[in-house]
Amino acid sequence: MSEAATLPAPAVARATWWQRVGPLLGLALLCVVLAVASPHFLTVDNLLNVLRQSAINAILALGQLVVIVTAGIDLSIGSIVGLTIVLLAMMMRGGMASALACVLTVAAGAAVGLGNGLLLTRLKLPHPFISTLGTMNVARGAALLLAAGVPISGLPSGFRETVAGSAFGIPSPVVVAGALYLVGHLFLTRTVWGRDLYAIGGNREAARLCGIPVDRRLNLAYALSGGAAGLAAVVLAARMNSGFPLAGTGAELDAIAAVIVGGASFFGGVGTAGGTLIGALIIGFLRNGLNLLDVSAYWQMIVIGAVIVAAVCIDVLRQRVGREA
Amino acid sequence: MATPTAPLLEVQGITKRFGGQPALQDVTMGLATGEVHAVAGENGAGKSTLMAILSGALRPDAGALLWEGRPVAFGDVRAAQALGISMVHQEPQLVASLSVAENVGLGRLPSRLGPLRVVDRGRLRGQALQALRLVRAELSPERRVDTLGVAERQLVAIARALHVGARLIILDEPTSSLSAAETESLFATLGALRQRGTAIVYISHRLEELRALADRVTVLRDGRVVTTVPVAETSNDALILAMSGRELAAVDAARDERPAGDVVLEVRGLTRRGRLHEVSLEVRAGEIVGLAGLVGAGRSRALRTVFGADRADRGEVRVLGAGGSGRRVGTLREAIAAGVGLVPEDRRSLGLVMTASVAENIGLVTPPGTRRLGLLRRRALREVARRAVEALRIKTRGLDAPVRTLSGGNQQKCVLGRWVGPESRVLLLDEPTRGVDVSAKAEIHRHLRELAGRGLAILVSSSELPELLALCDRIVVMRQGRVVGELPRARASAPELVRLATGTR
Repeated sequence: MSEAATLPAPAVARATWWQRVGPLLGLALLCVVLAVASPHFLTVDNLLNVLRQSAINAILALGQLVVIVTAGIDLSIGSIVGLTIVLLAMMMRGGMASALACVLTVAAGAAVGLGNGLLLTRLKLPHPFISTLGTMNVARGAALLLAAGVPISGLPSGFRETVAGSAFGIPSPVVVAGALYLVGHLFLTRTVWGRDLYAIGGNREAARLCGIPVDRRLNLAYALSGGAAGLAAVVLAARMNSGFPLAGTGAELDAIAAVIVGGASFFGGVGTAGGTLIGALIIGFLRNGLNLLDVSAYWQMIVIGAVIVAAVCIDVLRQRVGREA
Repeated sequence: MATPTAPLLEVQGITKRFGGQPALQDVTMGLATGEVHAVAGENGAGKSTLMAILSGALRPDAGALLWEGRPVAFGDVRAAQALGISMVHQEPQLVASLSVAENVGLGRLPSRLGPLRVVDRGRLRGQALQALRLVRAELSPERRVDTLGVAERQLVAIARALHVGARLIILDEPTSSLSAAETESLFATLGALRQRGTAIVYISHRLEELRALADRVTVLRDGRVVTTVPVAETSNDALILAMSGRELAAVDAARDERPAGDVVLEVRGLTRRGRLHEVSLEVRAGEIVGLAGLVGAGRSRALRTVFGADRADRGEVRVLGAGGSGRRVGTLREAIAAGVGLVPEDRRSLGLVMTASVAENIGLVTPPGTRRLGLLRRRALREVARRAVEALRIKTRGLDAPVRTLSGGNQQKCVLGRWVGPESRVLLLDEPTRGVDVSAKAEIHRHLRELAGRGLAILVSSSELPELLALCDRIVVMRQGRVVGELPRARASAPELVRLATGTR
């Protein structure tokens, strides 16, 4: 497109560019500030630590992104973590091979997610906020019932060492999350399914009139989100060495925050895996940096809340620029 | 019939443009106290714009409004209401979950206990009953509006207007969803209001209604006043001619004849309860068939049902193959697989994904050859988009430009571009040139003729008769969900089409 180079880029193109680069600039700026403020920040140990801590939120956020891209929301992922982590612990305590137990855990998460999708597409609940709010409570209750309210501990050491350990000096959770993001990026950008999800989020009716099977795609999106929660449960179980039925409480909100800070639009149709990864890292680095700087946990909450609001303000401004063009 | 007396509202030389396109030009008319003044005209003649200006929703670019001889400047609905002007929309704007009384008093609920502002239910009920009496409606003020029928809602909306103190009430096609009996009762109510000195502006296509109700009628065409006459002094034929214009005859002569091929699209007895009744039609290869009719006649519904986007209760749609073998299509996906495409009515809400690029929008239907095992063949998809951009001369900075940066005409071409591939056989278009400028419109017409020349069967719905007359080989007319007539090009004329569409003899 040689003619594109000679024309001045309109405001919308700038907005798209900003949307892509904005979160990255934010992350870079944050790192520079933290590196200057704390001598402990820029060490390999600390950086790997942040990555390890961010991995679970990053995995959940990727699932959440898939749903938010369709202009939906999944409030149930934290509870799905709780339910599937209990299932995982029970399967392993029952003597099942670790690998099989892990696969079944992810499948169980996907099945609960599919249920979210079916509530939306079959029962025609008016908004996913409602269906996933219901599932959020049901899944948490089921987790507490199954575990009789107490953690199930004592998981096989081989499982713990593999999933929570390191490979070539890189923490395994980071490897898992990295691989997932690569697959997620390709899914969203290269496959018909991923592309259909953006179309549905951008204009559901237009997508339908183009022959896209909207209901099937939405079921898929919620199943993937649930599956990501199941995977997060596997990683978390290895780290905590137990199946704690309250695991993942509130995790959905951190995941939503990462997606939004990462430049996805709450209105649907816009958002990338890369942006979401950066969003998860921004929140992870922020927590870590504030810890290193000895900022109290209370202030941390206030800062993170402000960052979320600021990111959404940028989203709103971007929408306005887009409309005026 | 009350004789028009002192002018209540004078409209002097009003002009309004939208993005350079004039919607109203130099419109002048007067309204007297106790007069029912009808405004008639085809779709797009400027009726709605004029009403929006009178009710304060739009500000005119030029011209003056005199209220009882004094110039007033509105452009703000509250200011117009304060003067005593109120509009009752085609779909009454009521809060369905509130009671009749609350709707009548909405925005000015009487209250007691001073700053506590407790709603004074007794007074509200009294006020509502009084307003309901004026419109001769026997409704309990306590009933929730969502339990009411359309006609009753209409009356509640008029009662609200009167309660606000309206001296001029604008009614936008109030009878479009009323039965004959309900219409008659509404007319009796309006007659009583006229006796009280309330002025009424009445918009309608239905000539019989104008005749039964109005003192005078103003006809708009292309944003200009064609004539204002006392209804008693004009004939239906004269009104039809005034609405449709005569100079159209010149346009249709400009088209060349094309031999039509075999039947490609066959629609038999398509029925959807309350919407479509036994709609049957055929379109041949290389043929452009128009769908004419008033707004609400079922044209959009017919196209959407043929496409499978809306479900039919009965009837069938067949896409006939080259060998004459009929493939029955029932669902939207079957229709697309059979080579049917739809360019829907409203490109913003139904056609385009505004957050996506030109290429993504064109490629939304993933034509055969652009996917393999669920993976997008991005190069093939871009090639499809590139060919559509070239064939339809879509003006864009590139395939990756966001579709919202394009002009209306070019956006519309992106929607059309989805269906111009070699697999397309039938093209359904709903108002394909609405909201695009004149040159883009001509260009879209040219592309449609080219596509017909390639052997596509094309069915176009439009509320602009000149467009249909210029474009189509045959025009099918719909009224109230039925096909009421069909005219070949040689015999089609605007007055004849209006006659069929309105059901006037």
